[in-house]
Amino acid sequence: MLRGTWAILEKELRVEIRTKEILVTAGLFGLLVTVLTSLAFFLDDATARRLAPGVLWVGASFAGVLAMGRSWAREREADAIRGLLLAPVPRAAIYLGKMLGTWVFVMAIDFVLLPVVAILFRVELGEELLSAAVILVLGMTGYVAMGTLFAAMSVRTRARDLMLSVVLFPLSSPGLVAGVVATREVLGGAPLGETLEWLRILLAFDLVAIVSGLVLFEPLMSD
Amino acid sequence: MVFDRVEVKGLVKVYGATRALGGVDATFRAGQVTVIEGPNGSGKSTLLNILAQLVRPSRGEVRYGDTGVRRGSELRSAIGILAHAAMTYPDLSARENLALFARLYEIEHAAKVIDGLVERFEIGRWGERPARTYSRGQLQRLALARALMHSPQLLLLDEPSTGLDVRGVERLVVTVEAERERGAIVVLITHDPELAERLADSVLPLDRGKVAPS
Repeated sequence: MLRGTWAILEKELRVEIRTKEILVTAGLFGLLVTVLTSLAFFLDDATARRLAPGVLWVGASFAGVLAMGRSWAREREADAIRGLLLAPVPRAAIYLGKMLGTWVFVMAIDFVLLPVVAILFRVELGEELLSAAVILVLGMTGYVAMGTLFAAMSVRTRARDLMLSVVLFPLSSPGLVAGVVATREVLGGAPLGETLEWLRILLAFDLVAIVSGLVLFEPLMSD
Repeated sequence: MVFDRVEVKGLVKVYGATRALGGVDATFRAGQVTVIEGPNGSGKSTLLNILAQLVRPSRGEVRYGDTGVRRGSELRSAIGILAHAAMTYPDLSARENLALFARLYEIEHAAKVIDGLVERFEIGRWGERPARTYSRGQLQRLALARALMHSPQLLLLDEPSTGLDVRGVERLVVTVEAERERGAIVVLITHDPELAERLADSVLPLDRGKVAPS
């Protein structure tokens, strides 16, 4: 299982280092959303700080959905997914390798978006931002786990990008809502410890998303 | 894993309202090339994908050798597939693609095996470039190397000659004949009657999801 996962993860990283396709397209899209929002909604410092959590999560989730779609588009090209599915590794290893690869890309983008949002929306670059980073990692882990599963399904459908967005956002809403609210709290000055309830929801969401992906990937890809 | 035949019994596959296979019985034997013939929509690719374990049948069974139906990684390690698409990664070079699949197939002494494949399929210096830049013939050589690197007992060929020039088709014929000599079970789908005639030891005609009278 781990052997297959590692081989696929390494392949994901190798292809991305060579093409930089996901990081550039999804990253620029996330930055564009952030910058345009800051220009459209900037009123004063206090209002800006209140807008920051929403802008951060909108940028991160939109960039994430682009990254997931592109990651699976690579498998469609030259029908590589068929070769992968025929390999004698557990199908869950394919899911995990793809998921971890996308997670690395999404995290790389998010860690660029976070300071950009902080600067544009007058958020202090200190402990608050570190807490927001922890929340972002937790929230985006479940989001990527869920998204990888549905993006894999989209390999076999025609309206793939539409289907991914339509299915992913409602199903990820527990994680996205908990993430936005927890980020709002910490950027509003609350210590991370005070957001424990939201962090528990995020952890539960991560667990459900990863386990669902590991269990459902094989039956979903078999027909 | 070695098995001397693959049998399908009463194979039915239904997609929504469409019946792709309507009860197919067939036996594919080691050391033989079985050509599946039939018009588009006759269920050829569905049958091939079921043999490859990429699609589950709605009813019926597939028996690999004497021990009946087996699923999972162990059986997949005995199956190789070659189709029109190369099933490789366009942004990786030939060697990188082969190294990836060697790891997935747990090939021992992978570097030596890859060197052997590179020599056998005449993958020259162009093999260092990303596969995206290859000609159809070069891609086919890479696809052959990928499909055969683990010496599969069951080799499935899904219209592998599409778009190939004369040399490419000749290379394909030589390779398939070598696999037959080795004792592999070869199942070939092709719309090329000349290729079918050259390679077929037996023919399975399909029409609208059923075995047609020959």
